Amino acid sequence: MHWLLWSVVIITVLMTTTAWALWLERKLAARMGSRLGPTMVGRHGLLQPIADLLKLLQKEDILPEAADGALFNLAPILTAVFAIATVAVVPFGEGVIAADLDIGVLWVLAFGGLMVIPVWMAGWASNNKFALLGGMRAVAQAVSYEVPLVLASMVPVILAGSMSMTDIVHYQQQHSWIALWPTLPGLPAFLLFLLASLAESNRIPFDIPEAESELVAGVSTEYTGMKFGLFYMAEYIHTLVSSAIGAALFLGGWSGPFAPGLHWMLLKTLGLFVFIYVVRWTLLRFRQDQLMRLAWVWLVPMGLVLVFMAAVVVVWGGA
Amino acid sequence: MSAPQPQHRIELAVHEGEGDLMLVNFGPQHPSTHGVFRIKLLLDGEIVVKAVPYPGFLHRGVEKLAERLTFTQLGPIVDKNDYIAPMTNEQAIFMAFEKLLGIEVPRRARWMRTLFAELQRVASHLLWLGTFALDLGGALGGGATVFLYCFRERELVLDLFEEVTGARFHYNTHTMGGNRHDLPAGYAQKVHATLDVIAARLVEYEHLTSTNRIFDVRTRGVGTISSELALGLGLTGPVLRASGVDHDLRRDAPYGAYDEVPVNVMTETSGDCLARALVRIREMTESIRLARALIDGMPEGPICGAKAIKTPTQFKAASGQVYVGIETPRGELGTYVIAGGNERGAAPYRLKIRPPSYHAMSVLPYVLPGHMVSDVVAILGSLDPIMGEVDR
Amino acid sequence: MAVDETARNYTHPLYDTLLAAPGLNVLAGSVDQLLTWGLKNSLWIFPMATSCCGIEFMAASASRVDLDRMGTIPRATPRQADVMVVAGTITVKMAPRVKKLWDQMPEPKWCVAMGSCAISGDFYRDLYPTVPGIDTVIPVDVYIPGCPPNPEAVMAGMLRLQEKIALVRQGLFPPHGSSKEDRPETAKMANPAVRRLLDPARDAAITAHQVTLAGTPSPDTVDSPPLPVDASTAGSADRDLEALLRDRFGVTEFPKDAPPLVDAAFHVELARTLRDRGFRQYVTCVASHWPGDPETFEVATVLRSTGSGSQLAAWRVRVAAGEPVDSLCGVFAGADWQEREQFDLVGLRFAGHPDLRRVMMPEDYVGHPLRRDFASDAPCAPWR
Ligand code: SF4
Repeated sequence: MHWLLWSVVIITVLMTTTAWALWLERKLAARMGSRLGPTMVGRHGLLQPIADLLKLLQKEDILPEAADGALFNLAPILTAVFAIATVAVVPFGEGVIAADLDIGVLWVLAFGGLMVIPVWMAGWASNNKFALLGGMRAVAQAVSYEVPLVLASMVPVILAGSMSMTDIVHYQQQHSWIALWPTLPGLPAFLLFLLASLAESNRIPFDIPEAESELVAGVSTEYTGMKFGLFYMAEYIHTLVSSAIGAALFLGGWSGPFAPGLHWMLLKTLGLFVFIYVVRWTLLRFRQDQLMRLAWVWLVPMGLVLVFMAAVVVVWGGA
Repeated sequence: MSAPQPQHRIELAVHEGEGDLMLVNFGPQHPSTHGVFRIKLLLDGEIVVKAVPYPGFLHRGVEKLAERLTFTQLGPIVDKNDYIAPMTNEQAIFMAFEKLLGIEVPRRARWMRTLFAELQRVASHLLWLGTFALDLGGALGGGATVFLYCFRERELVLDLFEEVTGARFHYNTHTMGGNRHDLPAGYAQKVHATLDVIAARLVEYEHLTSTNRIFDVRTRGVGTISSELALGLGLTGPVLRASGVDHDLRRDAPYGAYDEVPVNVMTETSGDCLARALVRIREMTESIRLARALIDGMPEGPICGAKAIKTPTQFKAASGQVYVGIETPRGELGTYVIAGGNERGAAPYRLKIRPPSYHAMSVLPYVLPGHMVSDVVAILGSLDPIMGEVDR
Repeated sequence: MAVDETARNYTHPLYDTLLAAPGLNVLAGSVDQLLTWGLKNSLWIFPMATSCCGIEFMAASASRVDLDRMGTIPRATPRQADVMVVAGTITVKMAPRVKKLWDQMPEPKWCVAMGSCAISGDFYRDLYPTVPGIDTVIPVDVYIPGCPPNPEAVMAGMLRLQEKIALVRQGLFPPHGSSKEDRPETAKMANPAVRRLLDPARDAAITAHQVTLAGTPSPDTVDSPPLPVDASTAGSADRDLEALLRDRFGVTEFPKDAPPLVDAAFHVELARTLRDRGFRQYVTCVASHWPGDPETFEVATVLRSTGSGSQLAAWRVRVAAGEPVDSLCGVFAGADWQEREQFDLVGLRFAGHPDLRRVMMPEDYVGHPLRRDFASDAPCAPWR
């Protein structure tokens, strides 16, 4: 029954963490722009996410007249469900995992890929042209960046010889973090993974589906109150989970120099999360076609080469 | 080379006949229209097929208001036209009135006006850089960071103006025959200190535009305006200079103190968004140099014409028509005044303001077709339109 | 704390459920306080920034004042905003759009009028295109005076709004009366001008207008001469405009204080000649109305030569009322919008203009405000 216990604990912790991840991002962004960020609601604005949540719960729920009601309402729920589902296979510590599936990596990638369906649903059902354009961009982008993401994740899978996240972490405990050794497929694969997951979670410089200077708010343009809140939350959960998976696949998960355990995993996840947001608040965004070119011309071939190299390491490297 | 033709109107028939095209209303309230402006875009996927701009959402009737106000009363009113560089509005209109009435402006006042104009250019271009980055990077991303940096620097310049006039903007400091407010003691040191800070940070911004890959790919070759089209459309200022036309009223038809403090004109040849960005960033450096020279060489003397003009009756004699154009941060801001035709000689009979942004926006139907939606905001931002000025 | 049911603003059903739950009504006061606290500390802003005040609003969100300290986020879509900050002048063309955006915001919502223009129309108050205060169109909660208000004032205004929200929720302050039930439908707005603009018949009229215009011939291609662009061409620009006008265009009078008057028949030819002689930049055209006997219109055109020693060339043409002036669109592309503006505001027609539509005023506006017989203190009819 431990998995049930862990799932409850993980989901609760995840939701709370998401709230303060939001706060962290706002503070970070503010500091980068020489501002203070939230300071008035609670100490250092720490209660800001709670206020936002309470506010969103009280807002009127508007269903646009021309919208497709069922799809419109389903989309945010599905987004949140898919985002949370990916957490299931993330190993936070020895045994601290909701479901230690044999196909952990596949599960994560599959649900990551599914995320695009509710996004497209939302874009289509809103009956708003900006939302539609946003949905179209999201689909194109997700389909393109899924490929390098899969290829990058294949490298640790091939090296460890298993698709289970726990096994991959064990492999790294015995050898070394994949991002460090074997350096040649390891480090580039890690960077490729980071880039592709930036694109997967629609973060700058790849945030064109919700590019609000062009498309107002992309797919969520017509959403109000808690439905928008779900989109908003799913986005952060997705980023958090991407960071956690990056940490588990490439940075050794819960292993660490002194006293391996949960704290290392959390620290690494946080590190990646902050990195993603520093990138977000630093860079400008690409244009649609440039994004596609980057994916197909550079990232996909690079991923193929890396997978091949990983195979070479396994066969001849004697790891 | 024949210039591209504007698409004047999107007919519904086109939309229906070619079922794959989508009509998108961009504005009037849209995060990147820099105010209220509407463009109807006919899209083929993400590519713009036709674009029809609709200005006028901020038309406030300044030219009508001018018919019942006296010449001196108009100063604070025209401030509100180009609200990013308000003082240049006052300068333009009072230069026209002074020419009409034959009023001499003392040398110190001319230098002060020129100093303010250059500081306004720095503040205005800073704001442009910030909002342009917002367009490229979004309000929830790197664009916002650049925007905040630019605003931080702009506040420093506004502090300088506040020190002289007491207002952050809408200064009402120019008047007939000179200025209202003299420079406070120790102003030169403050100007130098502020400009030191800005000049140091400008190096970073120049770096940002010349070495940032994403900035480069988003702006290079986007929204190219040929020099013929630019001249024919009456484009002026940085937009014209970025298209390879070496023309700047500060040098070519000097006014104020520009005949004593020569200006280096910045040009680029490619005419795309990148060229416009580079021209503006270099102009900031040049303006800082000019402002330093102006504050150092500031002559002593009265700041307003010997005979202060107080009563409207003094204008009774005014009649005739004059046109005066000056170089504001956005280009040639012209004032055409017709005086003397009406019973009350104190007010202009007809005042026409020739706004550079209005002409800049008229280029949109020529350049937008063929670009992607993301480029639309980049092109719009690179023209640096101010809606208060476009619509007046 | 007692909650006055009648005075309460729109609330989410969840709120009532919480209040009605057994046992919870003991806590009703605290729940109410908690919800109110959430509501007032998370004010997401929809910036209805139309003009100068919008810039100060941006400054208020920037580093020095930083509205984000109290938890505001600017949202680009009205659907996710709680406060509409109307910053800037609202014109008759814009007012229906503001109303529409306001209607798209979910309850509970608030409106802040920032600056004299949004409060009362400022000095544009009694002019033809402006709305004298946004509270004639949508309900306003907080007014922030100033032209423009300092960023600090904006912050103060937002803090006042927080106070007001708390008071309204406690029933100590009348809400702005925009509860969902008595919120007027956009189409039924009390405001005649807005109603006029939302009239479906108007769309038909505009379409008909466009159909008639579609028949107008398109301009010749803008045949710019392929002159090389450098400072030396400016030297070849014709300096002796007077001689040219006298010899080729039969002008005899050269007034000291105004551009010379040229026969309207030569308008396009003169423009083309000057362009070929180096005056290649279109500067402006100004139409003016001269009532009296006979009623006439004058159009002054200004051209410029570029490069060092830049020169102006200006001339006027005069036509009787009702007669068109030839359009310069075939010579200078820039004449397009300038002539449209003069047509819109002065009511002078330009023959051969490809797209003579209104540009500043709404398409169905009647009258030409810059004519002398149009009173300068005649506000748009419904707001008189
Ligand atoms: S109140 Fe003043 S600053 Fe604000 S929009 Fe009106 S004119 Fe501009």
